Amino acid sequence: MAEETLFEVLHSEIINYVLQNGESRNKDGKDEDLSTIEYIGFSTGYRLIERLTKEMPRFKDELDTMKFICTDFWSAVYKKQIDNLRTNHQGIYVLQDNAFRFLTKISNGKQYLEAAPRYVSFTCGIIRGCLANLNIFCLVTAEVQNMPSCKFHIQVQRT
Amino acid sequence: MAVCVGIIGKDNSPKFFTCLNPAEELNFQYKVLSALDVVEEKLNCGSKGATDLRELYLGMLYTLETHKIYGYVTNTKIKFIIVVDSTNMALRDNEIRSMFRKIHSEYADIVCNPFYIPGEPICSKSFTGSIKNIMTGTV
Amino acid sequence: MSRSSTRFDTKKVNSELVTLTYGALVAQMIKDLDNTDDVSKQLERLGYNMGVRLIEDFLAKTGTGRCLDLKDTADKIQTAFRMYLGVQPNVTNWSPAGDEFSFMLDNNPLTELVELPDDLKGLRYCNIICGVIRGALEMVQLDVQSWIVQDQLRGDTSTEVRVKFIRRLEDAMPAGED
Repeated sequence: MAEETLFEVLHSEIINYVLQNGESRNKDGKDEDLSTIEYIGFSTGYRLIERLTKEMPRFKDELDTMKFICTDFWSAVYKKQIDNLRTNHQGIYVLQDNAFRFLTKISNGKQYLEAAPRYVSFTCGIIRGCLANLNIFCLVTAEVQNMPSCKFHIQVQRT
Repeated sequence: MAVCVGIIGKDNSPKFFTCLNPAEELNFQYKVLSALDVVEEKLNCGSKGATDLRELYLGMLYTLETHKIYGYVTNTKIKFIIVVDSTNMALRDNEIRSMFRKIHSEYADIVCNPFYIPGEPICSKSFTGSIKNIMTGTV
Repeated sequence: MSRSSTRFDTKKVNSELVTLTYGALVAQMIKDLDNTDDVSKQLERLGYNMGVRLIEDFLAKTGTGRCLDLKDTADKIQTAFRMYLGVQPNVTNWSPAGDEFSFMLDNNPLTELVELPDDLKGLRYCNIICGVIRGALEMVQLDVQSWIVQDQLRGDTSTEVRVKFIRRLEDAMPAGED
């Protein structure tokens, strides 16, 4: 569908913008700073979830919220459900997507694997933003070992 | 017609407040803030409560001689409070419920303004206008 | 699983996702660059890059051939508006020479929920659209200028995107391969 292409093109231009903007500021050649991409995702997720949960009954608990993210939310945004959800029941959740939308169009190979963090940062931010607005504060990181599969690690901060 | 609408943030501080009669604002602020305890109570009492707690609308929180106070809590823990005159018999549960839905919809819209930072007080003129219209039943 | 499933209208979610992501990007740029004009320019440039890629998608999906004239081009961009943004702007205000025209948008998903703060009234929030048009047309050998004439964010009743034909580019040299 055409609107989906629009979002994908916008997503990749955000990555380009942040990388170029970061490059002009710090030239030490250290690790790429992807935090701005993550933050743009955070802000988007935070606002989006306000709309999506408007007509929904209250969540029962944390696990219920995670299940929602893996199923209904993921299908709406990433066109498929999360393939596997694991939890240690102590605030750690691992969401595995075997064909992550932003990685399916990138070829597999070492040089591409190195660039993978760029394509998952926005989504880490989306997840963190959605959960933060649902009052679950967490750290979200992503792990890509085999394209286009991706694991998102959610670590809930207990207060 | 509602006489006052308050929106209370996650941190229990007011983000938006409006009354039909501005002279009564302080008085109503007090009423709205004391309703928050009832909200917390309703949310915390688990599934034992009489109402279905998975619904966002909490129903009437409490009544005073002069006013009735209703509450609604979003999935994102934003509280909406509506104050109605006790003498007002025209507003039934369903009307109140639909007022809350409209307020919720306006709120979800304002959160999507990229220049509004969630958690800050809402001072948009168009938002205030829409809420006033919802209160007076002109939408 | 106890949760009863909520089926979202994916088309609507996607459009909200685009709007919100774009809004978050603009807000970020305002933080990064101190000057509103620089933000407007950067948005146009970003749109240009998007246009360069979107045209491929547009041509592939519509199977469109070469444009006959500028009127034909305008109609095709109108189709693109419908495909990508779900809106159908009117094509109007043709210049007497026939080398300039406008798209009039009565509603614009990008700005629907946006309220510009007073200190950002100079921001061309929709400049990305101008950039997309310029980038896409350059790929089909048309050099154009595009800018925002009227803007609903600044109180106008519609948003007017102006397009001016500059020249036809040489066919033989695809961009970036000289």
